[in-house]
Amino acid sequence: MKNKYLTIFLLVLLMILPSIFPDNESRYEEWSKSLLCPVCQGETIYDSPSEYADDMGAVLLEQINNGMTDDEIYSFWVSRYGERIITNPINQNLEILIIPLVLISIFILLFVRKLYAKK
Amino acid sequence: MIYNTGIIFSWISFGLLIFLFFKNKHIYTEILVRLNLFIQIFLFCLLEIGLFLNDFSVSYIANYSAKSTPPLYKFASLWGSLDGSILLWNLCLSLFMYIYLKLYKDNSSDIDIKIFSLIMIFFVGYTVFSSSPFAGCIELAVVGCSNSTILPFQELVISNIGRGPNPLLQNHPLMAIHPPMLYVGYVGMTMPFVAATSRLYSKSDDTNAWVEVAEKTTYIPWLFLTIGITLGAAWSYEVLGWGGYWAWDPVENVSFIPWLLATAFLHSAKIQKSQNTLLNWNYILVGLMFLSTIFGTFVTRSGVLISVHAFSNGNIGTYLLFGMLFFGFIFIFIGSKNIEYFSKSKKIENWFGKSGFFVYNNIFLFSSALVIFIGTIFPLIYETLYNRQITIGRSYYDILVGPLLLILLGLMIFSVKLPIKNINIEKWIEENNILVNSSLILSIFILFYLNNSYILIFTVIISVLLIVITFSNFYKNYRNKKTNTSYWTGQIAHLGIGIFALGIIFNVSQSYSTEKEINSFEEFNFNNQTFFVYDSIEESLPEKNIIKLPISNGSNTKFTSLNIFKNSSQQAISSPAVFRTFLNDIYITVKFIDESSYKLIVRNNYGIFIMWIGLFISSISFLPRLRKYEK
Repeated sequence: MKNKYLTIFLLVLLMILPSIFPDNESRYEEWSKSLLCPVCQGETIYDSPSEYADDMGAVLLEQINNGMTDDEIYSFWVSRYGERIITNPINQNLEILIIPLVLISIFILLFVRKLYAKK
Repeated sequence: MIYNTGIIFSWISFGLLIFLFFKNKHIYTEILVRLNLFIQIFLFCLLEIGLFLNDFSVSYIANYSAKSTPPLYKFASLWGSLDGSILLWNLCLSLFMYIYLKLYKDNSSDIDIKIFSLIMIFFVGYTVFSSSPFAGCIELAVVGCSNSTILPFQELVISNIGRGPNPLLQNHPLMAIHPPMLYVGYVGMTMPFVAATSRLYSKSDDTNAWVEVAEKTTYIPWLFLTIGITLGAAWSYEVLGWGGYWAWDPVENVSFIPWLLATAFLHSAKIQKSQNTLLNWNYILVGLMFLSTIFGTFVTRSGVLISVHAFSNGNIGTYLLFGMLFFGFIFIFIGSKNIEYFSKSKKIENWFGKSGFFVYNNIFLFSSALVIFIGTIFPLIYETLYNRQITIGRSYYDILVGPLLLILLGLMIFSVKLPIKNINIEKWIEENNILVNSSLILSIFILFYLNNSYILIFTVIISVLLIVITFSNFYKNYRNKKTNTSYWTGQIAHLGIGIFALGIIFNVSQSYSTEKEINSFEEFNFNNQTFFVYDSIEESLPEKNIIKLPISNGSNTKFTSLNIFKNSSQQAISSPAVFRTFLNDIYITVKFIDESSYKLIVRNNYGIFIMWIGLFISSISFLPRLRKYEK
């Protein structure tokens, strides 16, 4: 058991696992986790048990079965309910991701610099 | 009667606190603090009595309780809405003030009690000047009360039937415990704030005394916050038929932010004590912990954000915002007086030794708190600046907070044995090679059964490694009397978090759901099991109607139900039927189409039981600390 090469072998084996057993989340699941149910106080239509979410889900399923692209689905829902229907606005508004990343980096930089002892 | 007494005693409490703040002499402090505690206990009991006597001349009781409300929920109605919960807040605050006085008071001056009373003046002031839970009803609504007065001795009108609490709150006993736990956690964060500001203000000679007291006083609120958040998650999963436990809802976020900051502080305080570093940072953390609890209340109660938890009430938002600025100013003022002391803070020399790892811990915990804070207020900023309404959902947190928490999980592996000098990673792997290899083999076995993605693989490897190493450390060293109790508290908490992480990653990556339309006395297949659906049963209680649907998997029969509350116009609440095994839950909720046909939402939720085990272990991490007090 005590063997460095075994460790390396096991790590390599672990890293190729995803190609052997791929993860496939359906497009419907992905989208229904991203659409907000407008009458349910902050739940997505995937989470919400309400009738309204059901109806939206049915429309969504039809769109996906008809082979609509992600952009088409996006503009369909946004044009009807406004931007707040999308709980995953990152793809369209990259700044939502960049601003926190920049702030974290600034924080870490300041923090480490303040503590770093000059030799 | 209750209305007049309540309002007058709120005034007395307010006056007493003002006196406590302005008085010069050292005498009477204890008597006044004790008196203040008694008044708050009295006010609490008074409102409870009002709730049980159905005194609907009090506006709060008319609006948030009803004659048909069962006793337990009548009791819990006290904190069921804003004004009452401020009363509970004040009770906790006065209790903590008393505890602080007894155990942690700085004997050289009264400044800590003065700061404490200033904070309490702020919260009691709200019930006195703005909106009191004892306010009398002067105008009736169709049900309950629509207008009220906070002046005593007015002509009142009495509604004859109360509106009753929010249906969500009277659905399960857990709901009666979850909010007070969080309140104790929130309010308790006042203690470290007072300890830090007062001791640095009066500059006692023992310069690190403030951080010792602040650490001791953080631990208890931290524990309650942990339990409160856990109960909230358990309640939303086990009781509400929603199927989830954490939604990154704004209100969940603002309870998580103080938790992350307090966790960071509990770690970095240790480094300050042993190595005299991070002085200024610890001060900042203590301040942010306290301010984030007020911010949390602000977000929850001001109605600025949409959430399951939010209930808004007029002007509390501005009031709390003002309070945040005011206490923030005091905090900065006292901090700036101590610039010289803070500049004595030592630099870090061993970035891969003990102090280095504690610094990383702080960096990633604080960054997580920062990201969550930004995600919570982003929609507000967008609305104010660009007049755009956006929603920040799960994916934001998955992408940004996920990796940070994963790194933290990895750091915990090394916490088992950290040298002061730099750690040699090659030597570390060599020393722990048997454990590392067996963890990797275990990971492969686990991953063999799962859909795979890299984030899943990393999480599984890291959490398995953490569990294995922490566990073997217990086995080898727990009898060793030399290691101190707080070390084992940390190790138990880490073990729990490792198990929790494993559960969560199973849940996130493996769960799936489906919908079935079905009639009474039919069966359906799911996850290689056959489920049989019986006929629905109706049950009528004074406060609600319940429609139950029994479902059997052959060996067990469970109910999924719909609760319809009589006094509420809000939507019905569904409860799930849960068939639990160690690895997965079959979680079924129902929608009724007509009398004998149903639409079932059937979920296969993985890892939930493992998650609860992990959280339970983390929650009992205080046990080794009790050993200290036995002697």
